[in-house]
Amino acid sequence: MASRPTLERAQPSRSPKRRLGVVLVDPLPVVRAGLALLIDERPDMDVVLEAGTAEEALEGLGRIRQRSIVVLIGLGLEGEQDAYWLMRAIRERHPGLAILGCGARADAMSISRALFMGADGYVDKNADPLGFLQALRDAADGEMVLVGPPSEWVREIAQGLERRREVQTKLTDRERQVLRVAAEGLTAREIGDRLGVRERTVTTHLGRIYAKLGVGTRVAAVRVANVSGLVTAGSLE
Amino acid sequence: MCPSPRGRPAGDVRVFVVEDHPVLRGVVRLACEHTDGLALAGEAATGEEAVEGCRTTRPDVVVLDLSLPGDLQGLDVARALRSEGTAGRILVLTGRTDDEAVFAAIRVGADGYLEKTAGVRFIADALLRVAAGERVFTAKQERIARSQLGEMARRTRESSDVRAVLTQRELQILELLSRGVTVKQVATRLGLSPRTVETHISKLYRKLGVRNRVQAVSKATAIGLVELS
Repeated sequence: MASRPTLERAQPSRSPKRRLGVVLVDPLPVVRAGLALLIDERPDMDVVLEAGTAEEALEGLGRIRQRSIVVLIGLGLEGEQDAYWLMRAIRERHPGLAILGCGARADAMSISRALFMGADGYVDKNADPLGFLQALRDAADGEMVLVGPPSEWVREIAQGLERRREVQTKLTDRERQVLRVAAEGLTAREIGDRLGVRERTVTTHLGRIYAKLGVGTRVAAVRVANVSGLVTAGSLE
Repeated sequence: MCPSPRGRPAGDVRVFVVEDHPVLRGVVRLACEHTDGLALAGEAATGEEAVEGCRTTRPDVVVLDLSLPGDLQGLDVARALRSEGTAGRILVLTGRTDDEAVFAAIRVGADGYLEKTAGVRFIADALLRVAAGERVFTAKQERIARSQLGEMARRTRESSDVRAVLTQRELQILELLSRGVTVKQVATRLGLSPRTVETHISKLYRKLGVRNRVQAVSKATAIGLVELS
């Protein structure tokens, strides 16, 4: 399957060194400043845009004409339009750009979610600077990057993706809705009130959900919902 | 772990080998006999024997071939051992060198991956390292695993995007189609007229961006929207 077009090929080879443009998105100005310092020192890359919010990032990206771009998105970006939302938005509007999630010792679930939402990889702020910079180059070359997390995390991250797929494809829209409300810890009756259906209907739904997810209890189902991102990622729908 | 001069003291790493090829089984056996710190706990030539054998011997490390005769393949064996907790560590020893095999092995929880041709002479070293808690994968294998993970993320995303625009009915029909059910049979099963089913199918094709049934099924399978059982 065709992946992201290789950016360098599209450009006439006018300059021998293809410069890499880096877009920094992070809510903390100090983090952006530190990263910008590190990046601008390199001969082969520079920061072409800094943004503190998703809105600023999207607005700025719309104006960038350069072809070879890596967008580095701090997972600390919160709110309605958080880091994950932004990944999805960029993936849709600018499918050719490389996107990297960036965090401080993020857990496997967050990384899994970032990949699912559209990131081409994850790089940890605790990585050594050279490894960090190389991650940016590799991502621009279309490689899947995972710098920082131990390599055995590949398994856990894959599991997160698999769960996501199961919840997305096996459950009906209604069942997902029920599960999401159930995850708040409500009783069947309260779930029914919230969704405007009878308690009995809710228990039927829950029974089907358990069967489809291969779990025996409400707690186990909610755990799957958590791992799958159903509960945390309201923006999926 | 201190190396033992002779015999099989309790400190030895107990190895169970699962391999249908007698010669390779012999190689692993020899490696265990001639290496300080390793001892052979048992052997199996099929998946069924392996699961049973590990239940009784509880080895520290299982050397696992991915391609086995019989119903239980290497990956199934790994899954069974993991869920039963009857093997400490798993070292895959296989002739398969494709990216999918490496990724699949990692996903079922393998702790190391040796290719038969290139790796078998390092088997003793690999066994000791795996037993000591190390992961034994080459840099290339780790890279393959990462890129496969990226592929998986892309497919998952695509499948969820497609799923979001399909109605429950369309999904139901898609599942039946991928099981080889004819339009007429779909109609009977769902209590719809064949004409209605045809309408659903044409909408389904449009949403999937395909022109015919073969393409629809292959696309749906590729992105994991339906599973081939």
